[in-house]
Amino acid sequence: MTELQVVGQTVVRRDNRAKVIGEARYAADIAVPGMLHMKIVFAGRPHALIHRLDTAAARAVPGVVDVITAADVPVNVRGLIRPDQTVFCDKKVRFEGDQVCAVIADSIEAAEAGARLVHIEYEDLPILASPEEAMREGAPLIHDDWPGNICYRIQLNKGDVDAALAAADIVISGEFNTPMQEHAYLEPEAGLGYIDEEGRVTVRTSGQATHDDLRQIAAALDLPEDRVRVIYGAIGGAFGGREDISVQAALAVAAWKLRRPVKVVWSREESIVGHGKRHAYTIRHTWGASRAGELLAAKVDILSDAGAYNYTSSEVLINFLYSAIGAYQFPNISIDGVTVYTNNIPGCAFRGFGSPQSIFASEIMIGRLSEALGIDPVTIRLKNCVHNGSTLATGAPISGYIALPELIEACVERAGAVREGARWRLPRPQQPLSPNKRRGFGIAAGMKNSGFGWGVPEGSYARVVLYGKEEIERAELYTAAADVGQGTHSVLAQIAAETLGVPLEKVEMIVSDTASAGSSGPCSASRMTIWGGSAVEAAAAGALASWQNEDRPASGGGWWEAPKTTPLLPDREANMNFVSYAYGVHAVEVEVDVETGEIELTRFIAAHDPGRAVNPQQVIGQLQGGLVQALGWTLTENFQTHGGHIRTDRLSTYLIPTIADVSVPVEYVIVERPDDVSAYGVRGVGEIGMVLPAPAIAAAIHDATGVWFDRLPLTPESVATRLMEHAR
Amino acid sequence: MNEVTVTLTVNGQAHTVTTAAQKTLLYLLRDDLHLYGTKDGCREGECGACTVLLDGRPVNACLVLAGQADGREVVTIEGLAADDRLHPLQHAFIQAGAVQCGFCTPGLILSSVALLEQHPHPDDQQIRRALTGNLCRCTGYTKIIEAVKLAAGEMAMEVEHD
Repeated sequence: MTELQVVGQTVVRRDNRAKVIGEARYAADIAVPGMLHMKIVFAGRPHALIHRLDTAAARAVPGVVDVITAADVPVNVRGLIRPDQTVFCDKKVRFEGDQVCAVIADSIEAAEAGARLVHIEYEDLPILASPEEAMREGAPLIHDDWPGNICYRIQLNKGDVDAALAAADIVISGEFNTPMQEHAYLEPEAGLGYIDEEGRVTVRTSGQATHDDLRQIAAALDLPEDRVRVIYGAIGGAFGGREDISVQAALAVAAWKLRRPVKVVWSREESIVGHGKRHAYTIRHTWGASRAGELLAAKVDILSDAGAYNYTSSEVLINFLYSAIGAYQFPNISIDGVTVYTNNIPGCAFRGFGSPQSIFASEIMIGRLSEALGIDPVTIRLKNCVHNGSTLATGAPISGYIALPELIEACVERAGAVREGARWRLPRPQQPLSPNKRRGFGIAAGMKNSGFGWGVPEGSYARVVLYGKEEIERAELYTAAADVGQGTHSVLAQIAAETLGVPLEKVEMIVSDTASAGSSGPCSASRMTIWGGSAVEAAAAGALASWQNEDRPASGGGWWEAPKTTPLLPDREANMNFVSYAYGVHAVEVEVDVETGEIELTRFIAAHDPGRAVNPQQVIGQLQGGLVQALGWTLTENFQTHGGHIRTDRLSTYLIPTIADVSVPVEYVIVERPDDVSAYGVRGVGEIGMVLPAPAIAAAIHDATGVWFDRLPLTPESVATRLMEHAR
Repeated sequence: MNEVTVTLTVNGQAHTVTTAAQKTLLYLLRDDLHLYGTKDGCREGECGACTVLLDGRPVNACLVLAGQADGREVVTIEGLAADDRLHPLQHAFIQAGAVQCGFCTPGLILSSVALLEQHPHPDDQQIRRALTGNLCRCTGYTKIIEAVKLAAGEMAMEVEHD
């Protein structure tokens, strides 16, 4: 390959100028003459039958134009994966963020006044506030057609786990609990619904996949998909929380019924109550190993809280079929996982898609095994982790170069670890003089699939049109890909410029509008740079061929199909569940105040393989952002529900990291090992940074205090309490 | 509905606005003056996305009633660039890669402007203290600190040239 000119360069993102001068337009920043304002009425109670919905008083408020309800929705169904939710509840509400109706008025004040006067007669039902309660014999059904409130179940068996555990030199067990997490993207949900100049029902909002939003809107309105349009402007963060629709369907119904522009802007409280959360998981492991540190058997029981609707609960659980055992190899495996409907807020996608939860548990297990066997944490990981030629728990070959072993070595070497024969000597942090403070060192290693996998059809649409005579003067790149803030559009422009051999400035982008491009699929599963990028490369190559054929303008592109994957197949040999992966290793030194329970990070090293960094600055930016989100999940964020009610519905009660909380300078070790399935060998980097901090910190705390923590978050109170219990 | 008439200077321009008495400065800027660069992230002074300079001091515009801005001078993100020339902080945020989704960016830049007025050469600790009221969920903050230092350096050079 000739040397790359644009891919691999830190170039200025094309959206940033508008963002620093205040000209970028987010969903709430759009105002059009004559627009109406919408206030959505939430259930406010976790489980109840609706006996009567009386909108008369609301309609009588001066300025109120209409109140839209279930009766206004032609096909009152929504759902990204499973159509188990209504646009507006008609008979029953299943969590407090369920939408019952929406008041539309000529001012926000009138809409709010009307919303307060909507009268709903409810009959409260028993609240199933946890998976355990929902699975209890005789528990009421949240959805009539899902017996036992079981939302989804996975099972996988390889070898003979019971026999292997019986024969193992050592068997250890553990139970791990991980909490919900709020995305807390800075931009609350908002949008404008209207009828466009071609008569299409149009929603301009913030999301992760224009075409997934469109599909659900078209289905609810019973319209052909070409009569609906979805447009994204600047998007204020997403992290998985915008995969499921929030305001989209309500806006579309309102605009379609009233034939007028309708705007909605959620408050922070509405955002927190109204969109899904990272799933709470309970994970039970029993592992058997030989005295020499070979992993022999893993038995894993998994229970997650799906909340009131599936959203992506089933898909997040399916990912445990490989990630439950971390990035390790076991000859005998038994996995049994259930996600359960409850009256809590739905669990949904969140950066890592189950891997932060699974890797937290499996990395602590390997750490405990290392301690129990007296084998250092590096050696036991290198002995058992995936390497070139390894397979997943399902039997699927792990395609592409597997950099994990060398990332482990690179990371711990940077931290000061030294290889001594067959063992590694880890750095011993210098202990502080204060008698209350102890320092410790810990590591965590892991992997995360890029792309959906599991046989889900995947690919991406892109089109490139070239203008000029002798030379290409201008290239238009059409893509519907969302730029949720991670810089997708700039990266895709770099790939187009590189493939076309033109300077970056010549690439003009027409983006995020279903009217101008086919589906790119969602910005999720760390997939947009690998698959969206591959589609752009193919489109640019096609346009270049057309150019060389003297076509003016020249064009190329269309739907680009990603390599096929399979669902879990009984024939282990036939599985190919993913085709691309990200790997990472984190090493952390912490200082624990054993009296107050406060944790301070004193050193942090993160080793990753981005395949090839299209924009190195953005790669580091993704890793930094994921890492700090993980610090929040691990240390400060404490999402609380009680009896189905969310108690942390504000940023003053749900504490995401501030700039003052992040004082450790993280050292990045970047090892580029290009992948063989994607354009320019890129790998996903969006999620892997989120996956490793929690277990690395837990390992470091153990090194400092001798206590293993198996439950997040590690707030000062929870750490101090646990240390006190342990001392007794 | 009670109304209030407010006379204020925004980005150097005088405005007289009659608006709802309960309206905050945030929504006066957005709804009445159509300055959408000031963002609404929480309406309770927790996120800092609505930070503007009020008589040179950074405030959460969501916690200031429109009436309280009467007779005062407001600077929003739209008022920082002189003609087409970016403020050094705007330039530095771009260069350092300190912008991802960008929703927190206007507030962070304005808080940084106020910081550099007071402390032209801030250390990490001073930067952290000055920006602790501005939440960012994308960047992890490291590049924001780099951007502020970069801008401080640039501004010091400009002063030398002057």
